[in-house]
Amino acid sequence: MSRLARAAAGGILAAAVLAGAACGPRGDETPYPGPGEKKLNLYIWSEYLPKEVIDEFTRRTGIAVHYDLYDSNEPVLEKLQSGVADYDLVVPSDYMVRILIELKLLRPLDRARLKNLKNLDPRFLDKQFDPGNAYSLPYVWGTTGYGYDKTKAGRTEDSWAPLFDPRNRGQILMLDDMRECFAAALKFLGHSLNSTDPAILKQAAVLLKKQKDLVKTYNSGDYENILAAGDVWFAHGYNGQLARVAAADPRRFGYVLPKEGATLWMDSVCIPARARNVESIYAFLDYVLEPEVNARIVNGISYASPNVPARKFIRPEILNDPAIYPSEEALAKCELLEDIGDATTILDEYWTEIKAQ
Amino acid sequence: MRGRGRFLSVYAWLVYVFLYAPIAILVLFSFNRARQTAVWEGWTLEWYRSLAGNDLILASVKNSLIVGLASTAIATVIGTLVALALGRHALRGEGFTRSLLYLPVIIPEIVLGAALVTFYGVLSFHLSLWTVVIAHVVFCVSYVAIVVRARLSGFDRSLEEAALDLGARPLQTFWRVTLPLITPGIVAGALLSFTISIDDYVITSFVAGVGATTLPLQIYSMLKVGVTPEVNAVSSLLLALTVVLIVIAQRLQQAPVERGEMS
Repeated sequence: MSRLARAAAGGILAAAVLAGAACGPRGDETPYPGPGEKKLNLYIWSEYLPKEVIDEFTRRTGIAVHYDLYDSNEPVLEKLQSGVADYDLVVPSDYMVRILIELKLLRPLDRARLKNLKNLDPRFLDKQFDPGNAYSLPYVWGTTGYGYDKTKAGRTEDSWAPLFDPRNRGQILMLDDMRECFAAALKFLGHSLNSTDPAILKQAAVLLKKQKDLVKTYNSGDYENILAAGDVWFAHGYNGQLARVAAADPRRFGYVLPKEGATLWMDSVCIPARARNVESIYAFLDYVLEPEVNARIVNGISYASPNVPARKFIRPEILNDPAIYPSEEALAKCELLEDIGDATTILDEYWTEIKAQ
Repeated sequence: MRGRGRFLSVYAWLVYVFLYAPIAILVLFSFNRARQTAVWEGWTLEWYRSLAGNDLILASVKNSLIVGLASTAIATVIGTLVALALGRHALRGEGFTRSLLYLPVIIPEIVLGAALVTFYGVLSFHLSLWTVVIAHVVFCVSYVAIVVRARLSGFDRSLEEAALDLGARPLQTFWRVTLPLITPGIVAGALLSFTISIDDYVITSFVAGVGATTLPLQIYSMLKVGVTPEVNAVSSLLLALTVVLIVIAQRLQQAPVERGEMS
């Protein structure tokens, strides 16, 4: 999950509003279309949907699926904003869902058409970014922890502590992402990662400034390769890529979900306001919510799904991998990054100071 | 004197190493057995085999070739005509037109991409592979026109006058005299636009629609899971194709110049 720093998201939002005022689609004016054609245009993260799952859908329903891939959230915003991209389903991350809803680029879900909706774990529903899941259904979720090199770092405690330990000077990689870095610091200090109290934010900023001396690089693009190449001992990052590095060489690499808690992230399926192939969309959504189908997706992509009955069909090595499906108590300490309003400005200032230092 | 010659040749070789070592490593690693891109584990052809079965990458190569060939063909015709018009005739507003020509080359790609997608939005022109072709024509026309104009600036007009004097009609003069003389410029411009088109990411990412994923877009989307050696393999194949194209182009370029000098 490489994501642009949320600082940038604010700027993109502002630009998006301006562009939207000029020529963007008016979601609220789009009439609800007819059933549409027997085809489906997907715009989805790479490696989020195994080909065999798509092929079986086409076999069953006769609906042809075209899909294009992306590796960050911003192209989704850009395509939907253009008003001329014919996508029927997109899979943005939590914060981007909120932006898309505010810009009226999504179509409300017709829940009555989804008989498999009950399969979703309520813990992943009704979040701040989309109250009541009016527009989005959680598709996969994960955590932001860190990967480490067992041969060099030795035994590590299940904590954020090693990333702030002067003994690891020059061997630490942090995500180049303001909210994620503050989340690590805030959790290490025992606070919520959505704290808005200026005193607490200041403590976190002081910690991150001190940490900067220890950090070799800030990177959100290919941190897992840097870890795998042996250039750092610790790499802060999303569980998906880091778990893949660990799976390729489990004796050398591991993933840690710190005991203090961490970021929980979710990518959700949404219908663009201008989507036309409505029958195909709902057929597909109900299809991927089927337990067996959903389990085949999880088995293929090694990301956790919020589908409860699917767990019966998921391969045990995935279900029991704490890097993919963490324990209940570890998960209970994780939080989604929420919109923290004016506190974002405070974080922006601190982050600029840290990066410029 | 001799010492300086040796220094210069060592220096030249170092520059070549600097330029080509990364590419050589990419080709080498396309034969690497390890899936992780940073470690060498021995020779294999496995990535070329799995590339042959990777529908997504192959579809993106096909898209890239369609876009590259179509936009090069269109841009070469338009760009050459523009260069001829600007180079041969005194037009009103010529200076302005000439500056306009440089615009797609100098404005940041991201601005051009955003402008194009807004333009398509205003026209309700749905994004597809053809919107990518149109976008590529926009910047390729400039490159072709600039290169052909440069060739025209050293053009000896007396050759055309001689042809006309000897009774050739204007069209005959164009096909028999003018065109062969500027062919090297046209080929160079076409090659340049094909190369720029085939690796364009920024503008393409803005204007690509359903099913219009080109190779650069495909590679970027794969970064999330790390660049696999399949990407190295497909890059090596494209590199080989480009080298072949350049060799052909150089052969073509040399021939007409000699003929031109003789006449």
